[in-house]
Amino acid sequence: MNVYEKLEQIKKDAKEHIGLVKSIHALNEVKAKFLGKKGSFSEIMMLMKDLPNDEKPKFGQITNEAKQIILDYIEEQKTIIEAAIVADMLKSETIDVTLPGKKFEIGSLHLLTQIQNEIEDLFVGMGYEIMEGPEIEIDEYNFEKLNLPKDHPARDMQDTFYISEDTLLRTHTSPVQVRTMLNNEHKNAIKIICPGKVYRRDADDATHSHQFMQIEGLVVDETTSLSDLKGTLLAVAKKMFGEGREIRLRPSYFPFTEPSVEVDVSCHNCNGKGCNVCKGTGWIEILGAGMVNNNVLEACGYDSTKYQGFAFGMGVERIAMLKYGINDIRLFYTNDVRFNKQFK
Amino acid sequence: MKVSLNWLRDLVDVDVSVAELANKFNTHSAEVDEFYQLVEATNLVVGYVTEKVAHPNADKLSVCQVDIGTGVTQIVCGAPNVDKGQKVIVSLPGAVLPGGFKIKKSTIRDVESNGMICSLSELGIDKKYHNEEGIHVLNEDAKVGANPVVEMCLNDEVLSLDLTPNRADLLSMMGVAYDTAAILDKTVHLNEYKVEESNHKNEAKIEIETDNCFSYYARIIEDIEIKPSPVWMQARLIAAGMRPISNVVDITNYVMLETGQPLHAFDFDLVETGKIVVRMAHDKETLETLDGKIRTLSTSDIVITNGERSVALGGVMGGLETEIVSTSKRVLLESAVFSPTHIRKTSSRLDLRSEASMRFERKVDPKRTVYALEMATYLFTKYASGRAQKGIQFVDNITDEVKTINLSLEKINRTLGSDYSLQKVSSVLTRLSFDYTVENDVYVITVPSRRQDIETYQDIIEEIIRIIGYDTLSPTLPTTISLGKLSESQQLKRIVKDTLTSLGLSEAITYSLVSAEKVFDFTKEETKLVRLSMPMSMDKNVLSKTPLNGIVDSVKYNVARKNKDVFFFEIGKRHDEDKETLLLAGALCGEISNTLWQGKKEVVDFYSVKGILSTLFVKLGLSHLEFVSMSDYKNLHPGQSAYITDRTGVVGFIGKLHPEYEKQNDLKDVFVFELDLEKILELRRPLKKAKDINKFPTISRDLALVVDQSVSAKKLEDVIRKTGKRMLENITVFDLYQGENLGENKKSLTIRLEFSDSSRTLEMTEVDTRTKEILVTLEKELQAVLRY
Repeated sequence: MNVYEKLEQIKKDAKEHIGLVKSIHALNEVKAKFLGKKGSFSEIMMLMKDLPNDEKPKFGQITNEAKQIILDYIEEQKTIIEAAIVADMLKSETIDVTLPGKKFEIGSLHLLTQIQNEIEDLFVGMGYEIMEGPEIEIDEYNFEKLNLPKDHPARDMQDTFYISEDTLLRTHTSPVQVRTMLNNEHKNAIKIICPGKVYRRDADDATHSHQFMQIEGLVVDETTSLSDLKGTLLAVAKKMFGEGREIRLRPSYFPFTEPSVEVDVSCHNCNGKGCNVCKGTGWIEILGAGMVNNNVLEACGYDSTKYQGFAFGMGVERIAMLKYGINDIRLFYTNDVRFNKQFK
Repeated sequence: MKVSLNWLRDLVDVDVSVAELANKFNTHSAEVDEFYQLVEATNLVVGYVTEKVAHPNADKLSVCQVDIGTGVTQIVCGAPNVDKGQKVIVSLPGAVLPGGFKIKKSTIRDVESNGMICSLSELGIDKKYHNEEGIHVLNEDAKVGANPVVEMCLNDEVLSLDLTPNRADLLSMMGVAYDTAAILDKTVHLNEYKVEESNHKNEAKIEIETDNCFSYYARIIEDIEIKPSPVWMQARLIAAGMRPISNVVDITNYVMLETGQPLHAFDFDLVETGKIVVRMAHDKETLETLDGKIRTLSTSDIVITNGERSVALGGVMGGLETEIVSTSKRVLLESAVFSPTHIRKTSSRLDLRSEASMRFERKVDPKRTVYALEMATYLFTKYASGRAQKGIQFVDNITDEVKTINLSLEKINRTLGSDYSLQKVSSVLTRLSFDYTVENDVYVITVPSRRQDIETYQDIIEEIIRIIGYDTLSPTLPTTISLGKLSESQQLKRIVKDTLTSLGLSEAITYSLVSAEKVFDFTKEETKLVRLSMPMSMDKNVLSKTPLNGIVDSVKYNVARKNKDVFFFEIGKRHDEDKETLLLAGALCGEISNTLWQGKKEVVDFYSVKGILSTLFVKLGLSHLEFVSMSDYKNLHPGQSAYITDRTGVVGFIGKLHPEYEKQNDLKDVFVFELDLEKILELRRPLKKAKDINKFPTISRDLALVVDQSVSAKKLEDVIRKTGKRMLENITVFDLYQGENLGENKKSLTIRLEFSDSSRTLEMTEVDTRTKEILVTLEKELQAVLRY
């Protein structure tokens, strides 16, 4: 076998060997075997000295080419081995993606807060400010300035928790309206809603709660009319119960408004056809409203010959109960996590 | 107010069904509770019992032969009072009685029975309207074969109105008639009563000694015969929800229901003195009222006296002494007007609400006082064989003022947002029977005395719009432009709520009223309580000082129901006498996160709650708030409680519930916190300018320090920060080790120090020098030594 044949043999052996190698370590060993100091090529180079001088450059070139080919084999095999390693690793790292993930607690706002926020946002969008006030009120602001003098028969409409003769737990958020009007130094236009906790001396049962949440609204300016009240409350009804809702105003009585109305919304459950939610009438009473009584405007320092406006008040629990078919008002205050967590 | 449709039709033309009338009342007048047929029964006839024999096989039954007009039929009857010669109510086979009770032909103990002889109760007339035990025996003049419901005048429909306190006018059939007329555009037709008088002059002497009786009119009717009132009157009283009693009582009630004017009938012979003196009661004066109760009176009660002693509680209830009884012969009939506020005071103080007091309280029409008296007197002469003495005795201090209200068309349209014409408004006023004049588009309206509630032009506007109909208004929005916004405190509340819910806490809302015994469970001091003067129960008699009472109760409620993982917060108030403070509070227990199949779970402990609060503080720009160990709260674990402080003082606290408290309340490992949101709001500083990012590298050094157990991480940090100065950018405690090999009462804390300078790259040597200085100071001040 001449050197050329040997070289060919080495290339052939290398290709076979290298193709069988499975690890980087073994690959390095094979590399040494062929290309190392004591490797096959070293032997070939030893033979080179026996060649005629004019053949030496050519042989050298062929040898280098052969070396390069073997290096390429090694490189190729390295890529294959590395890919296999990655594939093995991926295989060993494969997990059951159907096992449960880490459980995090996701908190929720109380349903009443969610409803309150929704209504607040609607009114902020319509240019209202949100006003708050104390829950311990004076009789003067809770009743007297609202056209409810001490012996007024309408005081029977609201049973009151008194603290002393003149202080009480507010029975509605109307005293916030009184305070806002009194505090308005310029006696100019007012557009507010007043959310908050209110208290009535009622025994708790499925439909009564001694504590509940109210949102009242007040607009006072020179032009605001009953039609504006109707449009505003229609917006509330649509926001809370869906676009298709209509409202109906019925005559009623509140000492602080005149005219006074009860407001019904067309039943969201049956679309007004009549069902058990609306007791067959197609309408559900949701709030009371009216044009601010002149006595209230005057008591709060507003000139009733110039100013007029509307006021309304709704119970947040009632809206939540209607919207979600909740039939016991006490559920809002029990804070059973199984109930509260439904409302994310 | 229960409105009989038959009665209403006497006073006004009603050409619509009761359902439609109900609908119209709802949208134009007053809320309708319900409407119904007074007697809902079919296939009834008047029968005449021609024969009655005992049932052969049953002791308590009788077999009756009953003439029902179309022939004689046999009916087995169980009522003991059935008898030959009676006219009775027969329900024939096929009849359906109230409650869906169907009558069939049957055989009762071998005897055929073709129907049932009925009691009033079986027709759906409640026991409160009669006291009959057995079957009802009709009047002799009832026509055999006729419909007994018609014979008893019970073929009526009832509209039940839920009245608001202002509409006192609707507490009378006349008032309802006026409103019906306005709604349906009809006219009211009232009866006129002409009393035939005897020659005896009215013997009564009337005196009023108080301003609180505005007028007092009286008639004397003699030779009264007490008996049942006519069937039609009884039927109308039943429809109106009142029990028929006797002609005298029924007539006074009937006239009150029609006119709204309460009347009272005294046995004039029992008045003894022939005199009526109206005065205010003496303090502690007593009077036995008609209901048999002895009332102790006060000086704000109006009494009717005979000049010597009181005989009635004016406007509220008669006295027992002068009550009409079956032997009464002479009646003094009173028609008077009393002060609404005094009637209200008396009836609420004595908890004695009568039909009369309800009407006086809400104001009666002073123009109907005499009308009612004459109507009743007329009915006495007709249905109680009475003879009216000549003339009316009276004292009347009411000045006849005509109330007028000016109202412009422009004001009407501006208030309503409408565009009504003069003609339209005028037609409505006419329908309401309001007298008016109009000049230059300004109305001058005379308020009828029946509408005592109408005082201002706003009331008139309400009358106009309710009759025209609210449904005719087109919805618009206010045109005043304004900025809508949340206040700073409202924004803070929303940020706090949103942050805490994203950290896994849920919002609770609890009652503000708590028990005085528990109100200080979670407060440091016992501050002055705000107490209800008349609580409904002892567990809700004071206002809370922290939402924690309610929240911890809610945790208890849930834990007791196996909802073990509870993470609550609430924004509530501390209620002090002169101030309400906004507080954030929370209570947490249970597993806040887990991957169970990996065996990992995080149970709430002090540090998870502290971490939640610290994250909240980062969000609020309050990372500087510190936690300072304390043991000031009786129901908190003294070793696991801390104040949350700022330079200005305490803003809140955090802690584990005391093991004793937990034991008593079936709780375990509950952590609570409370923050004063008003202080938080004050401390918040909004970011004004962005900081550059530090471009230079950070060099870190980890120190494992061995210190006494009593040395807190905070103390170490303080010393390190003080010595590390400006180049020390950050300190993180990342390991705590406690082991015997450290020595008694020792612990090891590993702390990472991060050094950097925003203007240059630090040299290793200067970092090492600074670290050494820190170690020296730590050793000197806290005897801290390097662990290795």
